[in-house]
Amino acid sequence: MIQNLLKYLGLYRAFFKASLVADLEFRLNFLLLVAGECIWYGTQLLLYEVIYRHTNIIGDWTLEQMRVFVFLALFVDSIYMILWDPNFSKFNDEVRKGNLDLLLTKPVNSMFMISSQKVSISHLPCLVFTGAGLIWALQAIPDFSWYRLFWLFLLIPSGLSVIFVGRLALNSTAIIFSRADFLQYVWYSIFRLGLRPDAIYKGFLRYVLLFVLPFAMVASIPTRFLLEPIQLGFIAWALVMPILLLTFMNWYWKFCMRFYSSASS
Amino acid sequence: MKKLFIAFWRRNLAFSELAIVSNLEYRFNFFIDAFVQPLITVGIELLMWFAIFETANAVQIGGFGRDNYLAYGVWAPFLGRIAVSWMYESMMVEEVASGSINVILTRPISFYEYYLSQLMGYKVTTTLISMIAPLAVSLFFDLPVHYSRLPMAIALVFYYLFLVHTLSFVISTFAFYMTRVRSLTLVKNLTLWLLAGELVPIDLMPPAIAKILLLSPFPAGVYTPVAYITGRADSDLVLQSFISVTISMVVAVIIGAVLWRKGLQSYTGTGA
Repeated sequence: MIQNLLKYLGLYRAFFKASLVADLEFRLNFLLLVAGECIWYGTQLLLYEVIYRHTNIIGDWTLEQMRVFVFLALFVDSIYMILWDPNFSKFNDEVRKGNLDLLLTKPVNSMFMISSQKVSISHLPCLVFTGAGLIWALQAIPDFSWYRLFWLFLLIPSGLSVIFVGRLALNSTAIIFSRADFLQYVWYSIFRLGLRPDAIYKGFLRYVLLFVLPFAMVASIPTRFLLEPIQLGFIAWALVMPILLLTFMNWYWKFCMRFYSSASS
Repeated sequence: MKKLFIAFWRRNLAFSELAIVSNLEYRFNFFIDAFVQPLITVGIELLMWFAIFETANAVQIGGFGRDNYLAYGVWAPFLGRIAVSWMYESMMVEEVASGSINVILTRPISFYEYYLSQLMGYKVTTTLISMIAPLAVSLFFDLPVHYSRLPMAIALVFYYLFLVHTLSFVISTFAFYMTRVRSLTLVKNLTLWLLAGELVPIDLMPPAIAKILLLSPFPAGVYTPVAYITGRADSDLVLQSFISVTISMVVAVIIGAVLWRKGLQSYTGTGA
């Protein structure tokens, strides 16, 4: 078990080094990518800053609380972008061009190979910016107990599992339909659910976003752990949910692979 | 002159038909692009504005009521999707960067025209299909939409698309000079998205910023047409947008032509 873990960590270190060299090779491109991501994150902040000029509360959060939510959502998004996004973005091409064949023959988990080969180095500055932004936003919360940040060690990996499984499941569906590039864009639309506070969703939909398509676990619930009294039920759910999601993904990946016909040979 | 125009029209029509056929080839893919994605986006925007008004306890925000914002939330993402060119810009950049542009250079059509007609063909098809979502939602919720103003609004967005395509052309010419251009596309498209007013109505922004933005051509992609059909703005703003898009297009065409000419002079086509 530990040997296996060390093997994957070693592989990941090699992927990281290769990505670092590749990304820093074109420095202007790298700087522009960082600028582009900063614009994207800036727009998410701007949305709420502009709306709060005209209202004092959205859902049940004030502007100060909403800033915590937005920075936390962007922080989690940065981690996702660093670890997986470049791989998922080229997933359809890998399938169509037959590069998936090569990955399937390697003595390593194929889901790991297809999702982790490229690390997005240009998002590392964003991780620092959004992390600093989160600390800044929390400072504005009266009587905030900094010990609450420890909850994020449980809740952020849990939220990341939602993003990982959601994106990989959508991409895997592209294997069944020989061409489904636009499913990627559906992902960007669905992911907006996670970039909005859960309080704006009412009744049945809120339950769906907590337990079926659990995008509320990405940033909304972690924000509530930081700002509100702890709800024990959500701790249990944050522990169980990733296991359920990854089990489902494992099954679904194998299911989709049945439809895969090699493109390169 | 007439013969020249007929030849021009025929070849452009042929390439736009090519775009339509190739996009309709994979119907599931097209269905997702033209119908599912806009529907999801519209749903999320509706929820957002419902919640804002519900919790803000206000009848009006920035001088407009809830239904007006719902209408904005429904139409802005729809028009925003028309007014952007990710796919064709990537293809143009790739053609120049990889050298496969050789094939187009030998054809009796310019690189600019070849992709413009394809972009237009693709946008017309997706617009026709995806318009079902905002129309249905507007009718269902009885939102304040001036349907008689829709043709003018769509015309403005398509006119703006010429500017968008020209900017894509300018970006693609950078591939003559740089090895990696993808980041330029990302920065440019995100900037256009922000300045177009899709994220939040421009009239909610601080007055000084809103004034500057409205003088630029970019709101012609989203804010101006949506404001026009939802009654937030009148035809003066539409006219102003047509003028600013025209001026910007002239500037962009000149820059593009210079970069293209210089780029071609330094470009060496290889391969059989």
